[in-house]
Amino acid sequence: MIRRELRIRNRLGLHARAAARFVHTAGRFRARVTAGREGKVMDGKSILGILLLAASQGSAVEVTVDGPDEEQAMAALVALVEGGFGEEP
Amino acid sequence: MIGIVVVTHGRVAEELVNAARNIVGEIPAVAAVSIGWSDDPAAARTAIEEGLASLEAAGGDGRALVLTDMFGGTPTNLSLPFLSPQVEIVTGVNLPMLIRACARREGELAEMAGAVREQGKGAIYVASEILEPRPA
Repeated sequence: MIRRELRIRNRLGLHARAAARFVHTAGRFRARVTAGREGKVMDGKSILGILLLAASQGSAVEVTVDGPDEEQAMAALVALVEGGFGEEP
Repeated sequence: MIGIVVVTHGRVAEELVNAARNIVGEIPAVAAVSIGWSDDPAAARTAIEEGLASLEAAGGDGRALVLTDMFGGTPTNLSLPFLSPQVEIVTGVNLPMLIRACARREGELAEMAGAVREQGKGAIYVASEILEPRPA
């Protein structure tokens, strides 16, 4: 299992479309993905779960990936989140 | 795949489906039936029927979940006659319910309906009860 703390960089935070992109990216991999913040841990493959983290710009989200393709999954999620979900910063 | 029909007062249905599309991407086998304030009930009933009928050509398997805005309202009342083993109706539609419905299109219709209801009830929060208040 790999665990990493990722910083939310985009202005709108982890909003609905960003959460959908996160889930879409996580869903490309077999690894189990979770995203957590302030004691809440959510299924990284559920949009509505990710939204509940209420992670605004600047907050830290702890992502874990666990499975045969965990390294590729983490790399893709890091690129997505650190890249501000492809949105304007 | 279980089809989805959203039936509401005014243009809420169309815009709910638009919002869900903007979030999750293209949604197959979905129909929005917006019932205008002055629409004739017979025409509105036909619109629901056409919405249901449109699903199969779009990948539906003959089963449908109808999401209506409010129990007792005309969109729900006009939908109820379509209730059957192949068509279930869940009232009180909101965006989390629609997103949940889009993510769960296979399996038993009754289970999908129950899961969508639980999502809808569970997705309502009083913000200050789950978030730390900002320092004054």
